[in-house]
Amino acid sequence: MKQLKTRQVCFFLIAFLPITKFFSLPSIIASHANEDLWISALLCLVLDFITLIPIVIACRNANKNFFELLEDCLGRAGAKIVAVFYLIFFFVKTILPINEQKDYIEFTLYTLKPTVIYFLPLFLLAFYICFKKLRVFGRLSDIFWMVTLNGFIALIALSIPNADFSAVLPIGARGFSNVIKGSFRAFNWFNDCVFIMFFIGNFDYDKKAGLKIFLSFALGAVMVVVFMITFYAIFSSIAFRQRFALTEMSKYTTVISNLGRFDYIGIFMILFSNVFALCLPFYFSSKLLKYIFNINRLWVAPTITVLSQLFIVLFLYEFSVTFERVITNYFSFYFILLGNILPIILSIIFIRRTKYAIKKG
Amino acid sequence: MKLSKNLDENFSLLKKALVSDDITFLDLEIAKSKGVLVFINDLVNKDTLGELVLRPANSFKGKLSEKTFFSAFLSPEKKKILNLGELISDLLLGNAILIVDGISFGLSFGLKHFEKRAITEPPTSTVIKGPREGFVESLSVNVSMMRRKLKSTNLIFENLTIGEYSATTVSVCYIKGIASKKLVEKVKEQIKKIKIDAVLDSSYISKFLNQHRFSLFKQIGNTEKPDILAGKILEGRVAIFVDGSPIALTVPYLLIEDFQSASDYYNSSYSATVSRYIRVISVALALFLPALFVSAELFHLQLIPLSFLMTIVNSIKGIPLSPSYEMFFTLLIFEILNEASVRMPKYVGMVVSIVGGLVLGETAVNAGIISAPTLMIVALSGICLYTVPELEQTFSILRIVFLLIAGTLGIYGLMIAVALLVVYLTSFESYGSPLCAPFSPLIIEDNKDGLYKGFIQEFEFRPKSLNNKNKRRIKKGEL
Repeated sequence: MKQLKTRQVCFFLIAFLPITKFFSLPSIIASHANEDLWISALLCLVLDFITLIPIVIACRNANKNFFELLEDCLGRAGAKIVAVFYLIFFFVKTILPINEQKDYIEFTLYTLKPTVIYFLPLFLLAFYICFKKLRVFGRLSDIFWMVTLNGFIALIALSIPNADFSAVLPIGARGFSNVIKGSFRAFNWFNDCVFIMFFIGNFDYDKKAGLKIFLSFALGAVMVVVFMITFYAIFSSIAFRQRFALTEMSKYTTVISNLGRFDYIGIFMILFSNVFALCLPFYFSSKLLKYIFNINRLWVAPTITVLSQLFIVLFLYEFSVTFERVITNYFSFYFILLGNILPIILSIIFIRRTKYAIKKG
Repeated sequence: MKLSKNLDENFSLLKKALVSDDITFLDLEIAKSKGVLVFINDLVNKDTLGELVLRPANSFKGKLSEKTFFSAFLSPEKKKILNLGELISDLLLGNAILIVDGISFGLSFGLKHFEKRAITEPPTSTVIKGPREGFVESLSVNVSMMRRKLKSTNLIFENLTIGEYSATTVSVCYIKGIASKKLVEKVKEQIKKIKIDAVLDSSYISKFLNQHRFSLFKQIGNTEKPDILAGKILEGRVAIFVDGSPIALTVPYLLIEDFQSASDYYNSSYSATVSRYIRVISVALALFLPALFVSAELFHLQLIPLSFLMTIVNSIKGIPLSPSYEMFFTLLIFEILNEASVRMPKYVGMVVSIVGGLVLGETAVNAGIISAPTLMIVALSGICLYTVPELEQTFSILRIVFLLIAGTLGIYGLMIAVALLVVYLTSFESYGSPLCAPFSPLIIEDNKDGLYKGFIQEFEFRPKSLNNKNKRRIKKGEL
């Protein structure tokens, strides 16, 4: 029996993929594209959707997992080279969201005592998850799609009373180049289809599974776009300064109410789902490390993955903003290459290989 | 060792093996052949012994042979005993054994008789509506209760004997054709593996059946009510009875089971659904309220509404302990009172609740040792946990762990702790069934008795979460 069901893959796309874009990303895109930030986000999502199509097709008849297919198509050495690329990809992809999360925790939740200690348990969770089978993400998705969706709805519902949607008009006012610039700076937070590529051969491809997956992705994309629009509709020209959009958006509705900041319920729901989303790159890095170096001991790969990432977080403690600039400014092509182009190429190779195998019986 | 035809030889062997004073060796004569009746004094019904064994033995006429010896007695529960080991174990079960000179086997008569507790409503699962009978310590009574509930030839009891000294009968109960054969075999195999000196209660067996020895969470279900057990085995579970224990065990166990109450099935679906949500909310409050309150007080004042914050500030003014210590000690006192109220004699229980609840609590607040909100939160949390009594022990430990985490790491630390727990629980399986089913993995059909309590007509199929056979419960066209 395969580890995941199509339903779980769909829930995975809703539960864990939109939420990573709700923290500092809106302000980063807004600093380039202003009111057209949602178009920049949409462009990234479209690119991800294009990447998702061949991946889902490759999933259809796959009887082997990603690593087995890689070895079939590229040989063992080729497969390991690709695995190394993705190990680096996940490693770099983790840095910004983790730093972003750290800053978010320190500046918004622990206003009285900012210290890195409060943030460190996340690494413990990542370490623990690395020991689990892929099935765990399916099971978590079954629960957390509801958590994410409810948190999102609560947050948007509480933000809308303060939103002036005319702020995002006229569409395209900032010009195409600014929109593209915004997209380029955002690639680190997208390229999520890579995760689905690692699900190849690991889930039962139901009837109309492709359609269900595309619709789930579309729902996640709608959540991202709605969030971006609402964010700009609230902050308009000062949007680029709002690094922690998640906490800022709904506060005007609740802060003066008798109940206090009950919008934190929605925020915590999103934050709760996000801790698992942050563990995803750790998980795949650990599996890749295990594959590349043929590590048999259970604890070695998770330990190396988590400790190295922890070291980077501590090392960059004072320079996280600078590092964010470096990654968003200079690593965009790298993310497109490994997050979009290579998955498309690999999926096409997998599709051809599977077709050939079926033909040969 | 095989029994011989020579009575003296058998008798001397028995005398050597059975030295206890409560074992009676009664000499008698059957058709001029010498015989000995062996039994344990207080375990045998002497009236029946006289009627079914001594009287026929006395009045036996004719020639005694191996064939006539067996048919001479009318006892409905008799069997041939061929060796000494079998004889002794049968004797220890409470049977009477007759050996006669010239006969190469003994006869065992099932004349067990010992005092039993009356069938009463179990204190752990009382209902307003529905059956009130509960299991007792006698296995035969429990089996008869199950037989009365399910009059089917497919209801199977398979007996095993466990415990070197206790030789306790452990009965595996299931419905043939519904329970998976693999599961039944696995359970039997696990039980057979148990090598222990004595099994004094079903909880001994449950510890050996646990697949994760160090887990804080329950892995084996249990019930004291025949109606609940019948419902569970009808879903495809396997039950385990232990002689001497009123608690029947069930596998596989799902976490949702403890949120389902017997009364849910006897009340209307609407009220059962509401009750179920109340239980879930109560457990969440019991687990997280002390931790959330402490973390909000220590780290996240922005979470508390201003007017409430003022109330808290006024009430904690002059309290010598920090919020986390204050909450921890109040919880500790609550746990002490709880433990004392369970152990102490009932007639002083009232005194403890007055002294502990009213005098101690109120005086502590008035003396400025603890604050009123803290006391209220601990009281609420304590009460809430008893809406799901089966999980009380596990969750009271978790409550303290969460409190300590929230007190040191704040709400994000608490969130990570809960996330760890969620990962642990979602990847946990009990005899092939996911512990968190039907929520994770999501099984929509099973949520008719999970997320809400559906109407009985909706329970067309047995739960998919359990690995069972014969999926359909209600015949097609009967809806």
